[in-house]
Amino acid sequence: MPRLLATQSHVVHGYVGNKAATFPLQCLGWDVDCCNSVQFSNHTGYGMDRVFGNVTTEGDLDALLGGVFGNFSMDYNAMLSGYLPNKESVRCMGKHYSEFKKKNKDLLWLMDPVMGDEGQLYVNEDVIPEYRALALSPDGLVDIITPNQYELEILYGKEIKSKQELREALKYLHKTIPVIVVTSCSSNIFDDKSNIYCVASIRDEDPTIFQIPFIDSYFTGVGDLFSALLLDRVSKYYADRAPNLKFEYQINDIINVIQRVLKVTRSLSVTNIKSKMGDVKSMKNMELRVIESRDLYHTVPLDGHGFSQLDFTTKNYIHGML
Amino acid sequence: MSNTLNIPTRKILSVQSHVVHGYVGNKAAAFPLQFRGWDVDALNTVQYSNHPGYGSFTGFRSAVDDLRSIIDKGLTGGLGIRYDAVLTGYLPSVDALRDICELVDKVCREQNIPWVLDPVLGDRGRLYVDMACVEMYKTLLGKCTVSLTVPNQFEMETLTGVEISNKDRLKEAFARFHELYPGVQRVVVSSIDYSRGANASTGTSTVAFAEMTHPQAIQYYTFDKIHAHFNGSGDLFSALLIDMMYPEGSDTTQPLYMDAFALAVGRCLTLTHQILNRTYNLTVPGPATSDFAPTHALDTPHIRDLKLIQCRDLLSVPSDKILIAYDLCEMH
Repeated sequence: MPRLLATQSHVVHGYVGNKAATFPLQCLGWDVDCCNSVQFSNHTGYGMDRVFGNVTTEGDLDALLGGVFGNFSMDYNAMLSGYLPNKESVRCMGKHYSEFKKKNKDLLWLMDPVMGDEGQLYVNEDVIPEYRALALSPDGLVDIITPNQYELEILYGKEIKSKQELREALKYLHKTIPVIVVTSCSSNIFDDKSNIYCVASIRDEDPTIFQIPFIDSYFTGVGDLFSALLLDRVSKYYADRAPNLKFEYQINDIINVIQRVLKVTRSLSVTNIKSKMGDVKSMKNMELRVIESRDLYHTVPLDGHGFSQLDFTTKNYIHGML
Repeated sequence: MSNTLNIPTRKILSVQSHVVHGYVGNKAAAFPLQFRGWDVDALNTVQYSNHPGYGSFTGFRSAVDDLRSIIDKGLTGGLGIRYDAVLTGYLPSVDALRDICELVDKVCREQNIPWVLDPVLGDRGRLYVDMACVEMYKTLLGKCTVSLTVPNQFEMETLTGVEISNKDRLKEAFARFHELYPGVQRVVVSSIDYSRGANASTGTSTVAFAEMTHPQAIQYYTFDKIHAHFNGSGDLFSALLIDMMYPEGSDTTQPLYMDAFALAVGRCLTLTHQILNRTYNLTVPGPATSDFAPTHALDTPHIRDLKLIQCRDLLSVPSDKILIAYDLCEMH
């Protein structure tokens, strides 16, 4: 069984962070060791006045990761890092993950540099240099990153306004990171409100653009589910000695899984109203149906029909090359 | 294989320990329950690198105030969640034990939902908690309304003061339990070994249970012991028991008929054993040896990690398709 260590947030109710990542990965056969960077009652979309719980202190996180890597030094095939609440916790995760990766070159490290979206930071500014140092480390320790365009711009250090600039940014970051998936590009590159554009790039190959129909609803946890599935699919891609698996089809497969989960989520929602931030009823309604989607995380080949109740025909979301 | 898309999920609040590595507490309960269609709201009372069975561990306890506000200001207050069941397990201090159990008791009584209390005190003659926690458990069980409690033999002995060395003493323990803790509706005592402490082991174990409206009507299953000590098996057992006791569509507020209770315990025991057997086979080299009587206690393998992920096929079998592998017996 492959084993993975995931350091990100824990919510008691709902599915974001480790709660969105763990169960799907377990269904795919991973032993998932979860290190929780916070324990909150629920995600912040319910309104900050409704979030209770605590942030894991730097000292506690340091001791916890020290104990895990100390006791189980031979165990991991992959590491994932997601939301960390402050500079100290990013630095602490980075220190432990880097040391471990240096000793275990074969394991994959996926870092989701959770900083903000669409020009808005949701962490303190002092987190930025920590993520930049990890992403741009000359040791090349991080294998995969999953920024949105805003986070990519922060790591790159420049705004990205065209496909050409996006290609340059990817090229720059590929010096240290082999796999980059930009989970959503902004409208100054693809001016199309009815679709989301995702760009996936593996070092030394042309980046691929994926076009995904935009759903006008506020889902949280989709990015965390995406990162978890990406780590699974990239592990399989690298493990495939006879190169049957094409990188762009692995990404297409993930997008199909996410679309199925969203379809299940909407089909089980009481109403399909557009959810509103801070509104408890619609937030609860739009929690990803991670449990009901138990049988949907596996790869279904293109044009495969694995499911009867809902239309789960596998689609090709590949839009072209960047 | 069941298809989860057809089954509306049930909701549980599970208040237990969390370990980064391995499967005890919430890590042992969450995946099996989720795989069987439960939305598990896991509230972690501690976060440790691993369970103490490894020799060393690091980590910390959650602050009691945080645990309390997550439940009453967050989950049941702000979010207005109504659970189908609440499970409490390891609570690391007297304060946490008192505050969280009193809060859970209040929530469960107000909402008329079952509270399953696992009195985590110790195992095989050894306490995990200090005496103050033992006394607190006695106080809480004496005054709270608990739907189901799942002590192991040692915990039942500690809570009743009756050493369970034979069937008569077991009956006495159930009677005493009911006298002391009249608010507890059902008791399931897992893994009773009458010969424990004696020189020769019988090689069998017993799970005994009773609806406490009739504490003398004790039923039990006897089964061959697996020749190993597993960390997390009790936590797995209590999680699966909840799944079997409160099936989808059941009114969790109504009393169970005795045969439904026996069915639930039998199915839970069967599935738990399938998982422990596979864990054994995947961990200990050579074939499973439960046919053979153990030679020395020292030879008992210590299996630190349940192989839950490798048991997905077993976990996906619907409850009504689990064939109970043991005969149901009654005490007279």
